[in-house]
Amino acid sequence: MKRRTLAVLAALTLGLSGCAGDGGSGGAAGESTLRWAVTLPAHWDPVVSGSGAQFRILSLAYASLTEIDENGKAVPSLAKSWDYNATGDQVTFHLRPGLKFSDGEPLNAAAVKAYLERAKTQKNSALFGDLTSIKSVTTAGDLDVVIALTQVDYQIPLLLGERVAQITSPKAALDPAKLDQSPVGAGPFVVTEYVPGSHVYLKKNPDYWDAANIHLDRVELQPAPDAATIVSGLKTGVYDFANLGAAQVKAAEGAGLDVVFQPGYNASNISINVNKEPFTNPKVVDAVRYATNRQEYVDKVTFGTGKATDQPFPPGYVAYDDQSANAYPYDPSRAKALLAEAGFAPGQIKLDLVIAGAIYATASEIVQSQLKAVGIDVTIKVDPNWEKPFFAKDLTLSLYGTTGRESPVQTLTAHFGPNGPLNLSTPYQPAGFEAAVAAARSTPLDSPDYAKNLQAATRAGLESRALVFTYSQPNIFVKTGKVSDITPIPGQIHWAGLKVEP
Amino acid sequence: MVLRLASGRIAVGILGVIALLAVLGPIIAPHDPLEGGTDILASPSAAHWLGTDYLGRDVLSRLLDGSRVSVLGAVQVALIALVVGVVPGILSVYLGRPFEWVTLRLADTLIALPFLVFAVAVTALLGNGIPQAMFVVGIMVSPLFYRVARAATLSVARSPYVEAAILAGASVGWVVRKHVWVKVLPPIAVALANTTGVGFVVVSSLTFLGIGVQPPAPTWGGVLAADLGYLSFQPWAPLAPTALIMATVWACNLLADAIRDVTGEAGRALLNTRTVHAAKEAR
Repeated sequence: MKRRTLAVLAALTLGLSGCAGDGGSGGAAGESTLRWAVTLPAHWDPVVSGSGAQFRILSLAYASLTEIDENGKAVPSLAKSWDYNATGDQVTFHLRPGLKFSDGEPLNAAAVKAYLERAKTQKNSALFGDLTSIKSVTTAGDLDVVIALTQVDYQIPLLLGERVAQITSPKAALDPAKLDQSPVGAGPFVVTEYVPGSHVYLKKNPDYWDAANIHLDRVELQPAPDAATIVSGLKTGVYDFANLGAAQVKAAEGAGLDVVFQPGYNASNISINVNKEPFTNPKVVDAVRYATNRQEYVDKVTFGTGKATDQPFPPGYVAYDDQSANAYPYDPSRAKALLAEAGFAPGQIKLDLVIAGAIYATASEIVQSQLKAVGIDVTIKVDPNWEKPFFAKDLTLSLYGTTGRESPVQTLTAHFGPNGPLNLSTPYQPAGFEAAVAAARSTPLDSPDYAKNLQAATRAGLESRALVFTYSQPNIFVKTGKVSDITPIPGQIHWAGLKVEP
Repeated sequence: MVLRLASGRIAVGILGVIALLAVLGPIIAPHDPLEGGTDILASPSAAHWLGTDYLGRDVLSRLLDGSRVSVLGAVQVALIALVVGVVPGILSVYLGRPFEWVTLRLADTLIALPFLVFAVAVTALLGNGIPQAMFVVGIMVSPLFYRVARAATLSVARSPYVEAAILAGASVGWVVRKHVWVKVLPPIAVALANTTGVGFVVVSSLTFLGIGVQPPAPTWGGVLAADLGYLSFQPWAPLAPTALIMATVWACNLLADAIRDVTGEAGRALLNTRTVHAAKEAR
């Protein structure tokens, strides 16, 4: 009797294990699998997810119209080429032939048109603000997408890269809520199993346009554990690859792991609302500018891995304006004097600094102590729903860190434009910014005047009293020796060429 | 009485030191606990006995300064639980069936609820402060006092001498003052010491999560939480706040045990024997 029971249990066990299918963890023997510890995205629809850092994860499942190379220059992806008309207000993207989505739908000009129109019109689109230059999208045959622009804008190939134009299947997009949890794209991988909060398994997409250069059979995304345990997770072989906090770099290097400082366009800032007291007084804003010691952020937040910056990008970037550098050097005495001139006694200004969460904890305490030193009392408030008041521009003082944009003009308008999502002082914009941005936008990227006009736009933007930039930090990843080198694409991870020893 | 036991002396000694830290901590702190420096995550030295934190602040000064929040929070929990629990516990025996039924169900309900989660919810609702959070926790642990007070009262209320007193015309108030209170007091004292320990754990847990205090105010839990983020620099750093929390909670429990020992019948007998022996030796 006992023997029969054991036999039945064994058969059931075998049967159940056989049902695991290709969604199970671990992959088959000999498969090349990347196990990535990362914060799982809340949204899998790029239109809803927006152009924040999550686009890196979504790039597993979605391919974009263009990509960038190591120098930040737009290069072909789904579009094999593009060309502007003579006046610069129309651009045509020529798609590769034979593309298709993972649901079998063709990825053609109509699909790109449908995506861009959805990104412009869908109610919960986080991208519509990025697409204001696009007047209309039409198709010319099956492979040509013709984009008419509202203004001369040579930034469009940079704009329609991984952050803004990860193309979704038009059939799947008929149900946006479902698409947001079940991605259907034409990226290098296809999601085979997704358990929210637990894991995401993906397998190689043989129909990806550059499948020949995808050497991973499988990617497993697992929720990032506590920062302090990431290193031990990699060391013990639980993960192959992870995002790493600056505080963990020393431990990772000590453990013999590969720490990758991926270049990026990141920049952090103190966001100020000049429409609210006491920042309606320009002298108070100037006091905050002079009270800011950027090196303290570099030392205590980035542990020396970052750089001080007073612009929305790191020093050395094409749009970084050397003329504007260090316009407001750290000078607490001057800050105090400005506050006195503005009629504020020490301790009279009391502000709430509202932040999104622990990620800004150290930076917020630095702001608090630096402002306290000049006589401004700051109370730190952590709001789990910070996005709502921040993007509704209801806050007086906050912190934000951008991962940047491939299009420098997009970065500038996002920060300084009258409707820029990162401009807490909407609709305020500095005088002359609009004209300077238009000049930069209408300069072809290969023009000798491009850098000059871009930097002039940055200079005009930095007249804004709404932002005090503090530091720039590279994107830090950690990997085991099994994972090959990562191509240093600014802000992005390109999966082509990446290898993991089985 | 408690000081006649070694465990009682140790407990009172530790708690006395903690109470002193709560009063004098901010004064005796060697550095400004809020002032950062350039020397971040430094190892212990003559200038910084417990090293510095991620902003270069002196850790010892932060722990000393944070003592007051922890002590006041723990005491608040214990006192609120005492007031809210004891009176209904005694009255439930005398005020009739409806009052007894309602208070028992309320106590059952409160016991079933997770007080940490409630404390977090209350701070979200009423503002991020230890007093609000501890008020809720105090109410939620009050069933302990309710049950202890009720059990002690029941044992007295049904004793022949109390029934005789009532038959002789004694009022409920007189019975409670004269007979019940004496019986209820010892177990209440034990519960009070235990609950104070619970209060320390709760304050430390909430501040560990960043709830109840605004940065940069130092707390024991907050110092511990910060240390965990920088283990690769200071693997020893969590020891100091952890030892402080553990020692305090242990002392509370030790005190509770000592009170139980000296107020229980066996304890009293033991102490009486020791007293007799001591008297004989003295002679």
